[in-house]
Amino acid sequence: MFILHLLNRLQERFGDGISRVDMTSDERLYLYVKPAVLRNVCVFLFDTMSARYAVGIGADDTPYSGKYQVAHNFAFDGKNLFCSVITYVDGTAPEVDSISDRIPAANWSEREFYDLVGVRAAGHPFPKRLILPDGWPDGEHPLRKDVPWNHVPENFHSGREYEFERLPEGCVAVPFGPFHPTLDEPAHFRLYVEGERIAGCEYRGFMAHRGIEKLAESVLTYNEIPMMAERICGICGCVHNVAYAQAVEEAAALSPTKRAEYIRTIMLEVERLHSHLLWVGLACHIAGFDTLFMQSFRIREPVMRIAEKITGNRKTYALCVIGGVRWNLDEDACTGLRRVIDNLEDEWRGVVAAVSKDKNIQRRTRDVGVASPGLVKRMGLLGPVARASGICIDARRDHPYAAYDEVEFDVIVRESCDVWARILVRALEVFESIRIIRQCLSKMPDGPIAAEITDELPSARTGISSVEAPRGEAHHFVITGEDNKPRRWRVRAPTYQNLQGIPYMIKDQTLSDMTLTLGSIDPCFSCTDRVETIDIRSCSHRVYSGRELESLVRRKDK
Amino acid sequence: MSLAAKIKEVLICLRAGRVTLPYPFEPATVPKAFRGRPIFDVERCVGCAGCANNCPAREILVEDVCQEVRILKYLGRRCTYCGRCADLCPENAITMSNEFETATDEISDVGQTLELFMGTCQRCGRCFTSPTPLEELKLKGYRIDDLMNERWVFRSKPFLNEEKTVDDIDIELD
Repeated sequence: MFILHLLNRLQERFGDGISRVDMTSDERLYLYVKPAVLRNVCVFLFDTMSARYAVGIGADDTPYSGKYQVAHNFAFDGKNLFCSVITYVDGTAPEVDSISDRIPAANWSEREFYDLVGVRAAGHPFPKRLILPDGWPDGEHPLRKDVPWNHVPENFHSGREYEFERLPEGCVAVPFGPFHPTLDEPAHFRLYVEGERIAGCEYRGFMAHRGIEKLAESVLTYNEIPMMAERICGICGCVHNVAYAQAVEEAAALSPTKRAEYIRTIMLEVERLHSHLLWVGLACHIAGFDTLFMQSFRIREPVMRIAEKITGNRKTYALCVIGGVRWNLDEDACTGLRRVIDNLEDEWRGVVAAVSKDKNIQRRTRDVGVASPGLVKRMGLLGPVARASGICIDARRDHPYAAYDEVEFDVIVRESCDVWARILVRALEVFESIRIIRQCLSKMPDGPIAAEITDELPSARTGISSVEAPRGEAHHFVITGEDNKPRRWRVRAPTYQNLQGIPYMIKDQTLSDMTLTLGSIDPCFSCTDRVETIDIRSCSHRVYSGRELESLVRRKDK
Repeated sequence: MSLAAKIKEVLICLRAGRVTLPYPFEPATVPKAFRGRPIFDVERCVGCAGCANNCPAREILVEDVCQEVRILKYLGRRCTYCGRCADLCPENAITMSNEFETATDEISDVGQTLELFMGTCQRCGRCFTSPTPLEELKLKGYRIDDLMNERWVFRSKPFLNEEKTVDDIDIELD
């Protein structure tokens, strides 16, 4: 068995460096190692055992053990195994060795646990602030347990600005973001442009950081968090809702009822249907092909309606509680859903047949935003981006959850690594989702939709859950705690990894391909940090700085 | 050539025709299970505060102004219509209505305030004897949320203050 083989090799190599091993099942390995060997163990897993880097987690464990906890999660996709390498560090300025130089996918995670928990990754190649706002005072780390959830730092430097790196020789900086008319979330890319060619970029994002993890571990309780978890994302909310519930269930060794698992599977696939149709529409909109944008949204509408009929809302399903789901699928809903997917299949088949032969859209998207298989591995890229580069990973098949081990489906893979391949992968996955929903509807057993939980959930247990979101694998890590709430809940959305690949994908492309490339992973961007106004009467114009605009906006009388 | 593809695309559009609904000139209907603005039924509410203790958005506040009167205030501002309150209500006093056009410039339009008369238990002075299912809903003693500033405090105490909040009712204090 692979897990034992892996354990043997690790013990041979690191011996005493490994202080404790938890094997909660054949699919989970928690490796507690000494800080000194953390880096070597991670590099060994990544390079020698070719694991995929999933996420790095920092947690404040000082109230319980007096130490800070750092974990790096790795996935063995072919072997259905998650391995978490956990270490404890103490002291006033805790430090672990950075692994980002050997595992670039860990770059953001390491910067994040310094920002939020204050554990420094020593030797990090780019140790800049990632998450906290520019004015946030140094040395205050909001995810530490002694910081209250509503903490407002006294010495917030509202005037402090983010310092970008020096511009490379011969380049002009073009700011992309924080706001752009086509997509919804703020993120800022400072592009280094040489003529039309992009020579590099620096990313500054996390402007919509809402402190959801802090709220979860300080204010809310286990069954309240799912409602917040689904607000992490406006498109794949149900994914986070299910992933959170599964992580807690795994940590507390509970199992949801069989029927609940099927309902979760069905709703996840309904969500994938609407998300893929929306994305294909938006991608075409960015490429200037508005016909398909309109038709995608028209075809998508019945999916939203049936979701509303089943769960009471078009998008926020509020589906899970720990141990089950809240909405049952009655006979009426099943018939309705069958009819919707039958129609959808017919309509979508027509669209795919037409669009896949359309030369205009192919010319616009071929060889744009290329992510080589090497990049996918190095940066831990996920979902349709990876599958469009010939890397066959899909959490539904590789780490089966809910009822995915009881249904048959194909993982769609394309080899051309570009935006066109991503369009095809998503367009074809729609048919697989329909197949999965059909099988679920015919196989779904009767029974209760939620398990009865009578005891308090145990504390200090760890749970990992991965759910294949439409954009890639969403990864949740939970440490259970006291008072009916978790001690730590870490969410890694798929864009967290995919966005880190963007600088490599856009390098040496023209500026006009930037929006398409960024759109192809399914996130956000653009516009300048100042606005120009022109007075028509006098024809004079003036340029406002960011600060002036801000004070203008904040003035009450407008 | 992609001419065939273009013709197919045109046909898809033509076949679909016009799909835009006449909303808002005609009302839009919602399915039966729709979760709209929650409506609290004062006749059925027993004042257990289970909804207030389990509201993820902290939108339901409870204050015991005296021995007999408990005020339950639903603010409706940040409410996400998740329906947990309606799930948990032991008396089915909360229904998720089909109201979704709740835009207003007066925020109290979407809120609701219930003044509940609480029967007194001979033994403990409160309205419920223990153990009841209500214990699981975390009811303990008197509840004092900050109605003035509309803040959820979730603080409760075993006794009320000496000062009477409501003049016409005599409070017996231990």
